[in-house]
Amino acid sequence: MNMHKIVSGSFFILAMTVNFGFFYGDPTVLAEHSVYELFAAIVISLISTVMKLGDRTQLGAVLLATSIVADIQLIASATVWAFAEYVIKDYGVETVTVIVSLAGGALLANVISVILYIGDTLKSKR
Amino acid sequence: MNEQIIWIVLRRLRAPFLVLIVTFSISILGLVLIPGVDDSGNVYQMTFFDAFYFVSYMASTIGFGEAPYSFNYEQRIWVSFAIYFTVIGWFYGIGAIVSLVQDEGLRKALNRNAFMMEVKKLTTPFYIILGYNSITKSIINRINGYDYRVVVLDKSEDKIEELILENFYPNVPAFVGNATKQQMLKIAGIHHKNCKGVISLFEDDMTNSQIATICNILNKKIDIIVKASSPQQVEHFKSLNLNNVQNPFDIISKRIFYGITAPHIWLLEMWMYGHILKLKKRDLFPKGKYLIYGYGRMGYAIIKGLQKAGIEYIIKDISSKDYIEKKHSTIFGDEEDVSTLIELGVKDSVCIIAATKNDLLNLSILNKAKQLNPNIFTMARENSLDDLNMFQAAKINKIYIVEKILADATYNYIARPLADIFIQESRKKDEEWATIIVEMLNNITGMNPLYYETKIDNENAYALSLQLNKGKDITLANLRRSREDRNELLNIVYLLLKRGDEVYLMPDSNMNIKMGDELLIVSNEDNYEDFEYIVSNIYELEYVLGYRV
Repeated sequence: MNMHKIVSGSFFILAMTVNFGFFYGDPTVLAEHSVYELFAAIVISLISTVMKLGDRTQLGAVLLATSIVADIQLIASATVWAFAEYVIKDYGVETVTVIVSLAGGALLANVISVILYIGDTLKSKR
Repeated sequence: MNEQIIWIVLRRLRAPFLVLIVTFSISILGLVLIPGVDDSGNVYQMTFFDAFYFVSYMASTIGFGEAPYSFNYEQRIWVSFAIYFTVIGWFYGIGAIVSLVQDEGLRKALNRNAFMMEVKKLTTPFYIILGYNSITKSIINRINGYDYRVVVLDKSEDKIEELILENFYPNVPAFVGNATKQQMLKIAGIHHKNCKGVISLFEDDMTNSQIATICNILNKKIDIIVKASSPQQVEHFKSLNLNNVQNPFDIISKRIFYGITAPHIWLLEMWMYGHILKLKKRDLFPKGKYLIYGYGRMGYAIIKGLQKAGIEYIIKDISSKDYIEKKHSTIFGDEEDVSTLIELGVKDSVCIIAATKNDLLNLSILNKAKQLNPNIFTMARENSLDDLNMFQAAKINKIYIVEKILADATYNYIARPLADIFIQESRKKDEEWATIIVEMLNNITGMNPLYYETKIDNENAYALSLQLNKGKDITLANLRRSREDRNELLNIVYLLLKRGDEVYLMPDSNMNIKMGDELLIVSNEDNYEDFEYIVSNIYELEYVLGYRV
């Protein structure tokens, strides 16, 4: 058992679960998606990306890649939201769907990342 | 290896990034949660965007002021906490990045990377030189950029810095590394397709043999030029199938032997190393009783040469270290020394050799002997190249500088292979033969002729190879004609022709030239230039051969 493994593992999973928490709900209704959850998802996703830095293995590289994808999706989602709020000053169905579905894409990347992580854990014999 | 640098950077940046993310997010969250009051007194909550914007410029100490509205005191309390929190995080991050740039490990990795790239990009054949010192420096000066490039490994950082300050052109890739480590040899390009060989001339025989063994395992195809200073060591290297063992003491021993028994053979060899092609009286080794001061490897080599030549000798075993300890002086010649000199028979000796490891001691021994016997022939071992002027001023007949001999021999082996073969072959001949050769060379090419090595191929002899490929028979004599008037002879002498593994010493001028022949030509600059024109220019060649008027 390794403290770094526990912390980083929990952040990988947390990134997925918080991401799911934001994504869950009617994709056309913004009220069902909390801005605080998006914020938490971004922060945790960034932290889990940093946790994956510096791992020289092949798996480490793939994990880092999925994590970066999740970051990009989530930040894009937040950017669209801010743009809708301040520039367009209107939330159409389309905008709301874009915000939620971008987070959905991030969720997918996080799921892949967690699956890889679990697979690696199962593979190791110790 | 590029990868490695990225990993080092990423790993180091992990902590600062985490600190930044955590401090930023806590500050942002706090600002969003605390209710504020706008200009008209309404309560509002900052959005995440507002908070992110504000924290970004606050943390980086840019500070545009309070936005979007002036803060109330709840907000200010939080902000004053957040300022210290984020600014410290930010500074820590910047500090970490700056220290990363100065990081020893990273710098080493970057240097190593640059060195490997340089080695990788070498397109000409190159030698790996292990250890940088005055010997290898003189080798680098002579071969770098001419036919070969050079890569240097040395375990001392100072030496490498010294090399970099030399500003060799073309650049000599150099790196700090232990030459006995496989990894370092691999980085230095021992597996590179252009790697011609490894040169290891360390003072310590153990190091040399270790390196030779490793190199031999790593790459069988390369030349391993290695120094050995004892016969056992030479045997060991022979068992590894290494042919290029340089033993400076063996060279000295042979020179003494030939100097005494066959001065013209000696002269031919010395000429290959830059001596003029004339036997001066002061060069002649006298015959009679030899007196040797100093023993060790050098003394042993001298004795071997003298024994082979059948010369009577007396050795005075004297170690420079013991002498200095005993007398607290490096100046030889108190009463005791003088009486020993006379006892050993300095007055009826013809030659005195000072072969200790101390230059001053050597000089003073010879000086004293000369006082006692003005006609005595003097020979000295010189240990440091810096003292050369002093030795020259002392008018010593022969000076043996182990370092220089080693450098010359290695250079000749690498860059003048035919000269090396010529020396070997001429040693098999007798004095009479050598006398004739020297006289002939003097007659045709003068007292201080130069020698050139060339290979008959498309690159060096374009016109000649065209003719040869057509199946024409061209003899050596055909080419020895002036391009101004083909009835005149050029002042050149073919000293040696190498065809595959066969070596023809003084080849017959009616011999046909074949593609791939290697020639050792003696001439002066003008005549050799003419020769080069003739073999590479179609019109000149056709004129000389008589195809064209």
